[in-house]
Amino acid sequence: MKIELIDLRQRYKEESSQILKCINKVAAKGNLVLTEELSNFENNICNYTGLKYCLGLNSGTDALMIALWALGIGKGDEVITSPTSFVATIGAIIHVGAKPVFVDVADDLNIDPLKIEEKITKKTKAIMPVHWAGRMCDMNQISKIAKKYKLKIIEDAAQGMGSFFNNKHAGSFSDIAAFSTHPLKNLNGLGDGGFITTNNKLLYNKIKLYRNHGMKSRDNVHIFGVNSRLDVLNAEVLNFRLKKLKSIILKRRRNIAIYQKYLNPAYIKVPFDSKNQFSSFVIFLCLCEKRDALQSYLNKKGIQSLIYYGTPLHKHVASKKMGLDKIKLPVAENLAKKVLALPHHQGLKEKDIKFVCREVNKFYKKF
Amino acid sequence: MLIPYNYLPFEFKNTKPIFKEWKKLIKSTDFTLGKKMIDFEKKFAKYIGVNYCVATNNGTDALILSLKSLGVKKGDEVITVCNTFYATVGAIVACGAKPVLIDCDERYQIDCKKILHKINKNTKVIIPVHWGGASPEMNKIMQIAKKYKIHIIEDACMGIGAKIGGKSPGTFGIVNAFSMHPLKSLNVMGDGGMAVTNKKEIYNWMIKYRNHGMTDRDHIDFWGVNMRLQPLQAVVAIEGLKKIENVIKKRNENAKKLDNELKKLSPYIILPKRIKSYKETFALYMVLAKRRDKLLSYLQKKGVEAKVHYPLPLNKQKAFKIYSISQKDFLTANKQAKELITLPVHQYLSDRQLNFMIKCIKEFYK
Repeated sequence: MKIELIDLRQRYKEESSQILKCINKVAAKGNLVLTEELSNFENNICNYTGLKYCLGLNSGTDALMIALWALGIGKGDEVITSPTSFVATIGAIIHVGAKPVFVDVADDLNIDPLKIEEKITKKTKAIMPVHWAGRMCDMNQISKIAKKYKLKIIEDAAQGMGSFFNNKHAGSFSDIAAFSTHPLKNLNGLGDGGFITTNNKLLYNKIKLYRNHGMKSRDNVHIFGVNSRLDVLNAEVLNFRLKKLKSIILKRRRNIAIYQKYLNPAYIKVPFDSKNQFSSFVIFLCLCEKRDALQSYLNKKGIQSLIYYGTPLHKHVASKKMGLDKIKLPVAENLAKKVLALPHHQGLKEKDIKFVCREVNKFYKKF
Repeated sequence: MLIPYNYLPFEFKNTKPIFKEWKKLIKSTDFTLGKKMIDFEKKFAKYIGVNYCVATNNGTDALILSLKSLGVKKGDEVITVCNTFYATVGAIVACGAKPVLIDCDERYQIDCKKILHKINKNTKVIIPVHWGGASPEMNKIMQIAKKYKIHIIEDACMGIGAKIGGKSPGTFGIVNAFSMHPLKSLNVMGDGGMAVTNKKEIYNWMIKYRNHGMTDRDHIDFWGVNMRLQPLQAVVAIEGLKKIENVIKKRNENAKKLDNELKKLSPYIILPKRIKSYKETFALYMVLAKRRDKLLSYLQKKGVEAKVHYPLPLNKQKAFKIYSISQKDFLTANKQAKELITLPVHQYLSDRQLNFMIKCIKEFYK
């Protein structure tokens, strides 16, 4: 038996004719930049999330960069964030000229709110919590800290589409939130894509200008901007996919519940929702003892798994080059040795999950 | 008779070959970087005659990537021309550098005679723009660059398919940028661009920076961003490369017809000088017209979708107000801005449409 980590191929295969229909519809019009398909998408996101404004951009990375830019964060400023994230979180901060300041994570792999205050300096401008693997950070506490120190919040919600905290969607707790629609996300296109959400009209207007060369109209440029427009072919695919998102997330959550039932919690910790959380579970990240041995055992049994990620962000060569590695973040460093993503997709059947659980438990029985 | 400016409804009428490839792509889920993109990069590098090509999100990103690859940053100055699309300057500003504008010459290109005055110790790069698909005097610019040890980055966003003494735009500067926006000679169904270079170390840096600075999934060499071309668009671009020579040929034929008739209307219409050893793409077919605004509305009433690129050069844009400049430095561009008109010249125009357009212009000046 072979159990794949994700079912991307299967999913795109099943939907290929509908996807082609979406692209065909747009392509035939000959209007290919910032079209109504994109504004429809932006409206659809507002409806889904309950947030006022949305703007489609090139990628989640661009969304982070542009969010930072819009809040006036640049050289000399510090941004507090998590060492457990995809590299783009830091790339975006560096790109605008600011300095990332790492705060250790808690057991849920999200930034530990209790450790934020000690890292705040005069230069701190913003906190960038990451909803890692689609699990929301404790936004109550983070919001309190931000308010106390008058800091901006940018949610890195690249994996947060469909996730809620206190019944409010990701993005509801910040000045601007950045989302990704990369193919490996729950709401995914056929290539790169992303968007920002905000409830602030001024920020919305500013970013709307910036993403399209700062053009107020074809002949008038008010600020110097860039080009970060969500691909409109992808926008229409995302419109189609958004309709299915709720049921996809429910299926994924059901899978996790099955895992929880069968895995032995003495050896392997399965993520769970606290009473405030509703997670989209983009990735199914477990914390495992003897992780590397488990992975090669599973591999032999035909069960795919993947480490997200083995190196916390402050330990990369890129961090060393900038002197960002000279801090101790014991929890993040320790958990990086334990994290493992197990097979998790909406096409998984209960018997597949049981098979994975049986093998995992069998592996641990030896000890 | 309608003479449309936007030819895209005709351009992507027959998308069968593209759809065939898209179908395969969707089933392969090869959506990040991907085989199609790499295939396109190789083909484009060969077409232009350079060693390396890095496909990006768009032309603006290609310019930013090129500037960053040379380490351009805050405190640096970058020289470019005042009549260009906003993205040229947007890219410079995005890198933190200061844009320094130069007036145009009679061919609406950067005026090489005026570059020298603006060079100082902070000048890191000159960005000559192949504006409208014509080219500036690249040989002169290269001499200046050599003498003052300044790098050249060509903004060849409109220059795919052009030639300067047999050489393509994008082969002069150390690293150069192109765009594949739908209204370019090589176009995709959305945004796309590329940066090209002959230098291996620049190429190696660029492919990493474009993809988060990653050496591989688990190793990050330096902090980068995401500038990857959509694989969907790489498919379109590969198909586009097959027909680009025909596109350029047809546009040149149309331009020649227009030239032959419009030159008779001097001094009402003044054509730019066509340099024999240069081949233009005619991304924009521009001439200077007396009583331009009246001609423009006359043509538009007749169904001829003429345009102006642009009524306000960058030195007069609100965005540029943060820099102190003297309008005296831009006499040619400011004068041209009142007379420039862009006529439809695209590859889907029929002789009948061209003749009608010529007839309208002649009637106007009668």
